[in-house]
Amino acid sequence: MNRHFSCLALIACVGLGSFARASFVVEVTRGQTEAIPIAIVPFSTPAEAAATFDVAQLVSDDLARSGRFKTMDRQDMIDQPHTAANIAFDDWRRLNNDYMVVGSVQPQGADHFTITYELYNVLTRQRLLGYQITANRPGLRSASHQVADMVFEKILGIRGAFSTRIAYISVLGHLPLRTFQLIVADADGENPRVVMQSNEPLMSPAWSPDGQTLAYVSFEDRLPTVYVQTLKTGERHRVSAHAGVNQAPAWSPDGKKLALTLSTRDGNLDVYVMDLATQLLSRITDDPGIDTEPQWSKDGQSLYFTSDRAGGPQIYKTGIKPGDKPRRLTFQGSYNARPRVSPDESQLAFVTQEDGAYRIATMDLRGRGDVQVLTKGHFDVSPSYAPNGAVILYATRDKGRGVLALVSADGRVQQLLVSSEGELQEPAWAPF
Amino acid sequence: MPGFLREHRWSITFSVLLHALLGAALLFATLISINRSTPGNPQPIPVDAVVVDSQVLHAAQRALADRAEQEAARARAAAEARAAADAAAAEQKAQDQQRAEDAAKLAVAADTAKAASAAQAQRAADAEKAAAAKRAEDLKRAEDAKRAEDAKRAEEAKRADEAKQAEEAKHAAELKAKAEREAELRRQLAEEEHVSAVEASPARAQYIARLASRIQNAWIKPPSARAGLDCVVNITQVPGGEVTSAHVSQCNGDAAARQSIENAVYRASPLPSPPDPALFERNLVIHFHPEE
Repeated sequence: MNRHFSCLALIACVGLGSFARASFVVEVTRGQTEAIPIAIVPFSTPAEAAATFDVAQLVSDDLARSGRFKTMDRQDMIDQPHTAANIAFDDWRRLNNDYMVVGSVQPQGADHFTITYELYNVLTRQRLLGYQITANRPGLRSASHQVADMVFEKILGIRGAFSTRIAYISVLGHLPLRTFQLIVADADGENPRVVMQSNEPLMSPAWSPDGQTLAYVSFEDRLPTVYVQTLKTGERHRVSAHAGVNQAPAWSPDGKKLALTLSTRDGNLDVYVMDLATQLLSRITDDPGIDTEPQWSKDGQSLYFTSDRAGGPQIYKTGIKPGDKPRRLTFQGSYNARPRVSPDESQLAFVTQEDGAYRIATMDLRGRGDVQVLTKGHFDVSPSYAPNGAVILYATRDKGRGVLALVSADGRVQQLLVSSEGELQEPAWAPF
Repeated sequence: MPGFLREHRWSITFSVLLHALLGAALLFATLISINRSTPGNPQPIPVDAVVVDSQVLHAAQRALADRAEQEAARARAAAEARAAADAAAAEQKAQDQQRAEDAAKLAVAADTAKAASAAQAQRAADAEKAAAAKRAEDLKRAEDAKRAEDAKRAEEAKRADEAKQAEEAKHAAELKAKAEREAELRRQLAEEEHVSAVEASPARAQYIARLASRIQNAWIKPPSARAGLDCVVNITQVPGGEVTSAHVSQCNGDAAARQSIENAVYRASPLPSPPDPALFERNLVIHFHPEE
């Protein structure tokens, strides 16, 4: 008994601190979650190519939009070095920069350019990156996103998602004549491209895991019908046109199945899984309430979905094997819907009702299920995770117009994506 | 007295009965001896009266007696002859009977002996067979027993060996654990000394708190720096607090975490000065372990 007790006491003592041998120990148990200061110095460009493209500005914008970086305004820069030899590190440090990027854009022939860039740690004066990328004129934009991705990953240890794409629905015009567009754009909202247009509603775009194909719901046949469209070829297939409702498609992680919502003859909605090769359906939920908005777990063995079986909409999870029973996940508040799983399945993002407003919230899936409301808008809906999980894209309203917005997964940074026209809805972030 | 009686009632009863029995036995014995002695006692006979006339009578009496004697002798002889003849016949008969009996006995004995010998032979054969079987059985049993014994011995040897190895392993583990406990104890003691030394010096404690606060505020945690991260950075500073080197020596985090920690130290430079210049330490060890 005594021995037992002394052992416990010893463990407790060892746990209290492990570095007693040093003469002087300082313990740091907290840190800041503020943005990291970085300066992206304008790249040098020969006079004849000066108007080509501002690589440094795009890199700076990308990093700032991520919420993780605080980029230095150009007008505050006392100098614009392009190589390490010209960097006065002490000055940049005095301007409170931890990192800086310098580089150049050199024309190679008529229409090609070489981007050279270096990333420095201002505090330690270490060179962290040094690369060259070659691109043609239209490719300079995506090459710049690549530079931002590299810098992001080097400093934060997580992959950048600046080179990825997003899909969303844009509604133009007013009733009775409206045009619905399915649009694919760069992650920063640039380069929008219409991949499908209809005078009847388009809804619920969903990316296949390989990023080659989109599934979506079209009302072009009067009833909601699920289509799958290959982006490169524009080839479309109607994959689910059962009597009644066909909606909310979601690709399984292996890309071989679609989870979707179908209605029975009496109009009851339940979640089904369809094998894309055989078109065979298996019913996943069977409840008189509405079961919809399915999302796959990372292992492809379970589905998260919204159900009003307990009254108001709440989020549930169920295995897809016969006999698996759904388990309710959300309990705070009377409205929790549209679940989206973070790429590492550590978090669930969803729409919650708070003070009469719809907002984006996350729930911790690994710990105690803590819920954090991330946004403060009145109509924040349709969350979608960036493939690195750092940011959530969602739809909101700004000055009476539907727009897209970003919030970092920890809720610290929020930002609107600029858009030229239309009511933007239902964004879906593509995989890497 | 009545108590004594009651207490020894059975002894007394027994004793009385014994005495009575002895008395009875003595009386009986006396009676028997009296009975026996009665016929032996000579009765007094009056003979003196006839002695005077005896001469007269004597001859007659003698003649009579002689005749009687002769007749008796004859009778006796005849009786004796008859008896002898009877005896001889009886003797003969007895002898015959004896012979017949002997013969019969002999025949029975012969039969018995024959049967006995056959039975004996059978028994012997059976016994031999049984003995052979028993020998075989014994041999088998002995072999089995030996095999079992060997197996058992091997098993025991194996078990003993294993037990020995386990014991040795246990012993080694115990020694190791003990050594570790001792090391931990030493470390703990050293730490306690350290802590008490710091606590003994409020100025020093204040200095450490200021350093921690300064570096804490300068640390921008990367996404990977969650609870569980545990890193140590060794710092060299010069008087005035300027950091001349910061190097993460041990760390379970990724490159981004290590870099963020070194940056935090440089960002915090110049470090705060101690309230008492004597407290200045050129080399500092900062332990980073976020709680959330």
